[in-house]
Amino acid sequence: MESAAQTTPSLHIDRSQALHFLGHQGQDVSDALVERVERMCAHCERVSQPRWLYRIFPIEHGQHGVLVQGTTIVLEGSDIAAHLDGARSCAIMAATCGLANERELQRLANSGGVDALLFDAAGSALAEAAADACNAQIVEEAHALGLHANWRYGPGYGDLPLDVQPAIIRVLGADKYAGLTATDANLLVPAKSITAIVGLFDEPQDSHRSCNSCSFSDFCNLKKAGTPCYR
Amino acid sequence: MLPITEGAPLRDRGNLRVKDAYLQGVLEGRNHLVFDGAMGSMLQAHGLAAGEIPELLCLSDPDAIRGIHQSYVDAGSQVVTTNTFGANERKLGDAATVDEVFEAAISCARASGARYVAADIGPTGALLEPMGTLPFDEAYELFRAQAVAAERFGADIVIIETMTDLLEAKAAVLAAKEHTSLPIFATMTFDETGRTFLGTDPVTAATTLCALGVQAVGVNCSLGPQALQPVVADILSVATCPVIVQANAGMPQVRDGQTVYSTTPDDYVAAVRPMIEAGAAIVGGCCGTTPDYIARIARELEGRAPAPRSVKPACTITSAQRTVTLRGREIAVIGERINPTGRKKLREALIAGDLEMAVGDAIAQAEAGADVLDVNAGLPDIDEASTLRALTGKIQAACTLPLQIDSTDPRALEAAVRSYAGKPLVNSVNGAQETLQAVLPIVKHYGCAVVGLTLDEDGIPPSAEERLAIAERIVAAADAHGIPRHDVLIDCLALSTATNQRETLQILDAIALVKQRLGVRTVLGVSNISFGLPARPVVNATFLAGALAAGLDMPIMNPLEPRYREVVDAWRVLNAQDEAGGNFIARYATYNAALPDAGTAPTPGSGAAPGADEAGASLYNLVVAGNKGPVPAAVERMLQDTDAMQVIDEHLIPALDEVGARFEAGTFFLPQLMASAEAAKAGFDVLRRGDGQAQDGKGSIVLATVKGDIHDIGKNIVKMLLENYGYHVIDLGRDVDAQDIVDAARAHDCKLVGLSALMTTTVKHMEETIRALHEQAPDVQVMVGGAVLTEAYARSIGADFYAKDAAEGARFAGEVLR
Repeated sequence: MESAAQTTPSLHIDRSQALHFLGHQGQDVSDALVERVERMCAHCERVSQPRWLYRIFPIEHGQHGVLVQGTTIVLEGSDIAAHLDGARSCAIMAATCGLANERELQRLANSGGVDALLFDAAGSALAEAAADACNAQIVEEAHALGLHANWRYGPGYGDLPLDVQPAIIRVLGADKYAGLTATDANLLVPAKSITAIVGLFDEPQDSHRSCNSCSFSDFCNLKKAGTPCYR
Repeated sequence: MLPITEGAPLRDRGNLRVKDAYLQGVLEGRNHLVFDGAMGSMLQAHGLAAGEIPELLCLSDPDAIRGIHQSYVDAGSQVVTTNTFGANERKLGDAATVDEVFEAAISCARASGARYVAADIGPTGALLEPMGTLPFDEAYELFRAQAVAAERFGADIVIIETMTDLLEAKAAVLAAKEHTSLPIFATMTFDETGRTFLGTDPVTAATTLCALGVQAVGVNCSLGPQALQPVVADILSVATCPVIVQANAGMPQVRDGQTVYSTTPDDYVAAVRPMIEAGAAIVGGCCGTTPDYIARIARELEGRAPAPRSVKPACTITSAQRTVTLRGREIAVIGERINPTGRKKLREALIAGDLEMAVGDAIAQAEAGADVLDVNAGLPDIDEASTLRALTGKIQAACTLPLQIDSTDPRALEAAVRSYAGKPLVNSVNGAQETLQAVLPIVKHYGCAVVGLTLDEDGIPPSAEERLAIAERIVAAADAHGIPRHDVLIDCLALSTATNQRETLQILDAIALVKQRLGVRTVLGVSNISFGLPARPVVNATFLAGALAAGLDMPIMNPLEPRYREVVDAWRVLNAQDEAGGNFIARYATYNAALPDAGTAPTPGSGAAPGADEAGASLYNLVVAGNKGPVPAAVERMLQDTDAMQVIDEHLIPALDEVGARFEAGTFFLPQLMASAEAAKAGFDVLRRGDGQAQDGKGSIVLATVKGDIHDIGKNIVKMLLENYGYHVIDLGRDVDAQDIVDAARAHDCKLVGLSALMTTTVKHMEETIRALHEQAPDVQVMVGGAVLTEAYARSIGADFYAKDAAEGARFAGEVLR
């Protein structure tokens, strides 16, 4: 049972988040650079077609991982099991900036330089915005069901393997409805895409993530600077 | 293996296997055809788990599949579509073979008693290169296995559907066309912007697929039928074969855990009715449609014949995102720059395997207003076929203009047009039998337009009448190969007026004659006319104006040359192509009669020229500040009394070092480092233009993002920095095989290779690549970088150096290649 991808023309890139992804930690930024960041963020908003979709399924903790009922998805690893410990169900979600964003990203990468860098960061921030919009709908739907959502947990994070990506895409029909594909190495194309699992519980949850189970935790510059990649 | 030039067996599509007279009538536009509705939605209603491979049910529960087909046949479907949408080797994996699934699926469909069985072929599920990682040839192989199985197990039609990538659709059509005799139907899916996810519009899709020779073309899935009206209208306006409509029952919404669709059967038929009245002949449904919808459609079409349509033949060339159509006396400009003949630097770049200069030429010509780009890689010392193909792909990734594929080697032409996304213009054939026999089959098979040169075994004849005679032969040969007249363009060939002055007006007369007598379009390379004369742009512009007046449709010229552009822009007012002269007025409102020379740098501002020291200080500051704009002028000023090496060693490099130090200290962050690198590059570009040897003298470095990884922004940053420090960087791109990296390092005699990987899962490929390099090229040092690496980890996988950022990479390069 697939559902159409949601989209909205008004999705906004948080400029400060884009700067943050570029490693900005309070350095003086010239007006020229601010103007350039603004230009590429606006360009990214104009050319991208962000879409997102999600579906909610009951779950069951099994021997080989968390079974997402009514689907073929088995979520392996102790971290996702902990993330969904006590959850009644979970939302499987995907958000993407779309193939138009990918095309422009690759075109700019070809010419190299600052614009490619800024567009890349703008795309990351836009993907987060699309995922946030999706997350908000999940929270809303969960509320209607009398449930409480925790934060979104993505494949590749902790010990949840990336090879669950193709199944997530199939379950959501994200290829057909959002143009999302996975490479043989299970990386998402468009690159500015996010898939995630949100647990839904009877009791209110801590809705913020932490660095604890992130595989980048040991050497992450953002964490070191006290400005992690999530908010 | 190229089917035509390498003699691979090719089906004769003249022997199309059409099941019966009624289907023949459908293909000829005399009969309607009722397809079926959704399979997936029906299977889900039967309790298929989300994410399950639905095609396997053909094997495990054939009765259920047959039952669904049966319900559509009972509702009035003349065609049922097999449950094989995703039954390709990549998606099935080890679960079943393609043959097993197709055999079972076709037998389920046949058992329903349907009049026709259409074998379904959906997308591969992976994105093709260059956007994705699946090579064209691999996609083709996946489709070939499906198409062959479709025919072997008795399908009547191949339907290629839900395509969003025009190149992927082309791979599927070619596979079916080259390996079966079945009619091919092809549909694509469009979103609310009216384009596919990859940016193909309906006119471009239909134009390209019709040129490839499909028997029916159209739209499926996408949106509800109401929203598809404009898409279908566009397809009907250009399709030269019957048009298919298979819409969704509106957009799916999940309500209370159930997927529901907004469009009822009555709404559906009401929305499709105007499309039928406008000429849509083959109708079915997609997601959310059920036998109820099909029953209504069947009732609607009963006893009716398709509404007559008239599609005006037009000369068209397409890319995946754009169609250039010549109507009436409209003209289009073909940019001539991507041609190594007479361009030493481009020649050197192509020989070195560097395609980026040509890509830059493509972007510059597009920005200067070209409509089509000529692409030529004709060099004696390279494999022209592989270079032309790679170049075509690379340009298509960066630029959306349609291309003219230019070669005298049929093998190179075929290699490039086969994997070209769209309907290209082939340049060229001529009146010699040999080229006509070799090239026209390629043009026909791949659905191209073609340029015919008015020369033959005896050379170029002097008179207009003789040129016309050769053009007649070319057109007759094209006719004989089934190439429509509107896809043939004649080049009457301009020769230097300095040596052939008496012939010059004959060229213009020949253009007029060819158009009048043969009804074909014309192209003409303009620049030859002035060879041997001074003030060539003046002569060329004058000749161009004359040729346009004689009826020239597509000048081949340098769009960066202002004089030619002025003629073209003005002509487009005179021929009413630029309606009310809007574009012309916008561009020339502040026209300055003094022409700038093409290609020279802007002159420095007025006022006393600053001394070298002052210019030096400001150059240094400009680079540190990342202010690129004024850098070229500052370098030009310095060059008046400083040599190039001094500019580099005393100004540019110290500025980059300062920026590197600030980055290290955390007072600069990445965009500032990159802005400085960009500013320095603008300076180096001026120096390169000067004596051509100021750079690239410090050695070569191979860079690549390892196999499996597609995140290459970090590598691109390193590349830019290294180039600024004077290294020649061979950038192999992303997702690169270990062996390709080893081969490149050896071929370029590199002492240093840089590898990047962003994912924990791809670091293992980094380790394999390092091992391969150390085994096969022991004197090469390897530096690595990427978000998931640490110093210790880099050592443990055998790297010689770990660069935590681009600045460190540049420093290490300095140590290795000192």
